[in-house]
Amino acid sequence: MSEQLRSFFGCGLDDDRTFDLNDYGDSIPRWCVGCGDHGVLSAVKRMMRDQRLLPERTVFVSGIGCSSRFPHYLDTYGFHGIHGRALPIATGVKLSRPDLDVFVVTGDGDCCSIGAGHWLHATRYNIDMTVLLLDNAIYGLTKNQTSPTTPEGFETNTQPHGTYLPALNPLSTALGVTNASFVAQTADWVPAHLLATLKAAYEHVGFSFVRILQRCPKFSAPVFSEQARTPDLHELLFHSDGITVPSLDKIYKHRLEHDPSDLDRARSLAEDTERTRLGIFFKDATRPCYNAIRHLPTYTAAQNIERLNRELDRYAV
Amino acid sequence: MTRRLLTGNGAAAWGARLADVDYVPAFPITPQTEIIEQLGAWIDAGELPARMVTLESEHSMLTAAGAAAATGVRVFTATSSQGLLYAMEMLYTVAGWRAPFVLVNVSRALAAPVTLETDHNDVLAARDTGFLQLHCATCQEVLDSVLLAYRLAEHPRVRLPAIVNLDGFTLSFTREPVEIPEPAVVRRFLPGFDPQSVRFRASEPVSQAVAVLGGTPYSYFRYEMHRATEQAIAAFEEVAADFERATGRRHAALETHRMNDAEIAFVMLGSFATKAVDAVDRLRESGVRAGLVRPRLVRPWPAAALRESLAGVRGVAVVDQNLSMGKGGILHAELASTLYGVPDAPVLTSFIGGLGGRNIAPEEFFQMASVTREAAQTGQAPEPRLLFTAQELREVRRLQGIALAERHETTHSGAERSAP
Repeated sequence: MSEQLRSFFGCGLDDDRTFDLNDYGDSIPRWCVGCGDHGVLSAVKRMMRDQRLLPERTVFVSGIGCSSRFPHYLDTYGFHGIHGRALPIATGVKLSRPDLDVFVVTGDGDCCSIGAGHWLHATRYNIDMTVLLLDNAIYGLTKNQTSPTTPEGFETNTQPHGTYLPALNPLSTALGVTNASFVAQTADWVPAHLLATLKAAYEHVGFSFVRILQRCPKFSAPVFSEQARTPDLHELLFHSDGITVPSLDKIYKHRLEHDPSDLDRARSLAEDTERTRLGIFFKDATRPCYNAIRHLPTYTAAQNIERLNRELDRYAV
Repeated sequence: MTRRLLTGNGAAAWGARLADVDYVPAFPITPQTEIIEQLGAWIDAGELPARMVTLESEHSMLTAAGAAAATGVRVFTATSSQGLLYAMEMLYTVAGWRAPFVLVNVSRALAAPVTLETDHNDVLAARDTGFLQLHCATCQEVLDSVLLAYRLAEHPRVRLPAIVNLDGFTLSFTREPVEIPEPAVVRRFLPGFDPQSVRFRASEPVSQAVAVLGGTPYSYFRYEMHRATEQAIAAFEEVAADFERATGRRHAALETHRMNDAEIAFVMLGSFATKAVDAVDRLRESGVRAGLVRPRLVRPWPAAALRESLAGVRGVAVVDQNLSMGKGGILHAELASTLYGVPDAPVLTSFIGGLGGRNIAPEEFFQMASVTREAAQTGQAPEPRLLFTAQELREVRRLQGIALAERHETTHSGAERSAP
């Protein structure tokens, strides 16, 4: 939340509370052992602690899928919605309560398949929220069916001889939408980068879209197993206006300077999937946010009636 | 003919395989996913010469199903619960296209709150869409009903899509011995799809799904669907008789159990009615002349058969595994309108039970029988009631207590922290 909004709603600024990780939830998640969601949950809690987010001013919205269990494991406000509808629910929350920090946790099924229509428009509305796409390239909750991001040729229960279509590229899709304002990619197996990306996404005012490559040890383990063990298959995008994690430089040798304001280059970098690129592809804080530019009536109906009565009362004898 | 242990989902897949379907648009959802996975495996192994496409949602899946059927091929698809509701817009639309195909719905209670086990609010939400509805109680019936549903849907006097309904978990994941008919036997009962007027032929282009402006043509086409559904009662008799000749198994529009001299009767849908079969037998042992009526067809609604089977019965306990908010049980309302004005009609009592898969215990059937007998004697039906025990209420109150305490603790500690 911007400082302006904090002061407008009279919260936050004078709140000197600090939190530890357990203040954001200490229950044990029911994800499989080795699931990347555990790491994302830890990183989210660390980011909230570092940013001193107030649990009672924070909302996590999800749809349906393994990752959509997220709100259950956080002691913030939560909304476990229905399949594909996390983004419109979050839109409703943010438009009526702009003082709240809104996060959306969605998956490659929820966001890129059944909810894809909402994804496009939520990107264009550019409402101030942080969207985490936990992409494990499979339908995990229903146990091993092809999702839009399942790699071509990968065998699943619905396409046993290998997935037919080329995988949808969530980064190029997001970067192709008019008025996109923040698109980044990180991975559950690079915790320092994940944390830095979450922080940057939270700080960006607008629709921050973060694709998190996420391991599913049960159904799509081969998709990311080699990458997760091989730093050389990655390329870290760095820039003074992007993400810089010096502690990773020794391990991740391939680094590329990329100015996140360069949309054309962002698109070509996203399109080339030979290397797993982590970092901010695109960021533009000047893009209009729907919540900032929409026309709201100055007064509510009740206020109008009260004003009218007050005016007429002046002439009462 | 082979006899095999199959789950309800496995039986549904076998039905589709034996019907020689051409096209299967699919989208996974618990507890249905096993059906499309089984079909996927057969197609992949070359055992089923069909095409299968996984779409990006149930809405697209139903659209693809209807459109494919309108080109004149035999289509099968399956969904459940939220998926059926998400496809609701297209259920009305494709039924209006008059393109017959079969949709298996594996009933699961609707959100919110999100849950997984069965009740019938999902399939009954599709009651007025124009889809025919066949409700199953056993795995054998699931396989047979898929075949019956194709014959009924494709019947020249009907020509409407059909839903075959089975209960999630209680039937979808329960293994029962199922007789799988020989493909040759099925082919005699269910020959290849004759698309008649709905077909694709390059030399004879037609426009389908055109708009009508004005109430006159609209009323005409909608009422035609209603008439076609009514005609499906007689068509079903014909189809069921053919099926019996082919397989030896009889599936009537209504299944009855010990109704001959029944004084009171239960009316229920789906697999939970098998609990009532057991309860009726126990009641009979204790001297109560009880019986069970289970409509297999819900659309078309077998009104005449219901009136006939309930003639002479003094009290009927309608057990609704659904809830129409502010009204009560849907089956109760349907049956009440069916019996209204019938001389010496039985008194109806209304019970809501089995929501979200909640069990209905034998003692609850005894209680319902007792309430219904009393109602029959006094001629006064009590208010509808929910089957829910004091023990269950205590458990919910206990959980609410924990939630309240946690909330209080959170608020309290928050206030403490923020104090200077």
